[in-house]
Amino acid sequence: MSDKSLTQSCILQRQEKRLQKELVSLIKEPPPGVVVDGESVGQCLDLLVLSINGAQGTIYEGEQFQLQFRFGPKYPFDSPEVVFVGSEIPVHPHVYSNGASPGRHICLSILTDDWSPALSIFSVCVSIISMLSSCKEKKRPPDDSMYVKTCSKNPKKTKWWYHGEYSNSKPLNDLKFFIENELKVS
Amino acid sequence: MEMVPESEIQDEVILKQQREIEKEVAEIHPLIGNIQPLTCLLKEYMDDPIYTNKLTKLADVYRSLRRVRPDGNCFFRGFGFSYFEKLLDNEEEWKKFQAIVMGTKDQLISQGFPKFTLEDFFDSFMEVVNRLGGEGKMDAEELSRIFNDAGTSDYLVVYLRLVTSGQLQKEEDFYQNFLEGGKSMREFCQQEVEPMYRESDHMHAIALGSALKVGIRVVYLDRGEITTSPPEHDFPEDCTPSVYLLYRPGHYDILYK
Repeated sequence: MSDKSLTQSCILQRQEKRLQKELVSLIKEPPPGVVVDGESVGQCLDLLVLSINGAQGTIYEGEQFQLQFRFGPKYPFDSPEVVFVGSEIPVHPHVYSNGASPGRHICLSILTDDWSPALSIFSVCVSIISMLSSCKEKKRPPDDSMYVKTCSKNPKKTKWWYHGEYSNSKPLNDLKFFIENELKVS
Repeated sequence: MEMVPESEIQDEVILKQQREIEKEVAEIHPLIGNIQPLTCLLKEYMDDPIYTNKLTKLADVYRSLRRVRPDGNCFFRGFGFSYFEKLLDNEEEWKKFQAIVMGTKDQLISQGFPKFTLEDFFDSFMEVVNRLGGEGKMDAEELSRIFNDAGTSDYLVVYLRLVTSGQLQKEEDFYQNFLEGGKSMREFCQQEVEPMYRESDHMHAIALGSALKVGIRVVYLDRGEITTSPPEHDFPEDCTPSVYLLYRPGHYDILYK
């Protein structure tokens, strides 16, 4: 085995170890509001689907959503690709209603620019639940209609423009549209 | 709707270019290069009287340098390699350092860092530190191999980033004086310290040096006016430097006397 492929296999082993450790702990102690299907988890290490329940007392109470994680070869140094999948998608100012494949993009800075290897599936779930729970009004992102027409299939390929509250963000290529839209609103 | 495909293409093109640049950088630059005479830099700046002059002065004090891959992690990777290399020749300091690193784990957990992932990086870091002295001591060649193995090397970088972030937040009262743009210390750490590939400045250096009790001297080489020798700064101030780094705008390499 060449040095390079040996290095590659060491990296994959470490990644596998980390993901397994994360999954075991998720099944044992999922974050509040997250339902992990122990049977389907772990069949394929690079893909994970979790259920998220809208928290009590929030506008999503009683709703359940499916969150899909996909882990690339550089995880945990690169962020996982995280999207909402299935028929129930939260109507939220940071969740885009782009096509069903691979899923609905979420605008959250830790999923791209501010990802750190010290974060985990657990912390992503907590951030998304907090993003949902703090929302007061169900509405689509102001630039949603433009974004769904222009976005790539992979949310990590969008250059997000981060702003304000909860370090959430908007796609950068729609900046002009967004500004116009905001002006119209106010 | 002419704009539509254009913006999509723009995103894809930018990202594709970024990946190509990263690949190119990785092919040309090992994570940690071999020792080279400092004069090798003179060739790079042959047509540049300011740099040539400064380099000539620098060569009176420093004999050689080791290049670090310019991937945004160069400060942390360069610091780690340079100090570990020094510890290989200093059993006493190694023992002290072992104890300091041992203490960082509980400190970070008590500050609210996620235990789960932190342990992973701490264990990998400690595994290497434990082999810098004592019975299973590695040699310089193995150290270089470890730092050039992206899997292990990046784990070491992450731990140094977390230690730096912990120190900045622990001593927030002091460090917030350096903060610009109305960011909170937590935000700064989340955005500029903990993520990989994010570049470092003097704030990172002071915090890392203070947390691990290691003096860092940074020599600044830029196009500023020719005065005497290139300016040097020690982090934290008044320390005895153990690690010497050469800073050129946006990048750090390791220096040797």
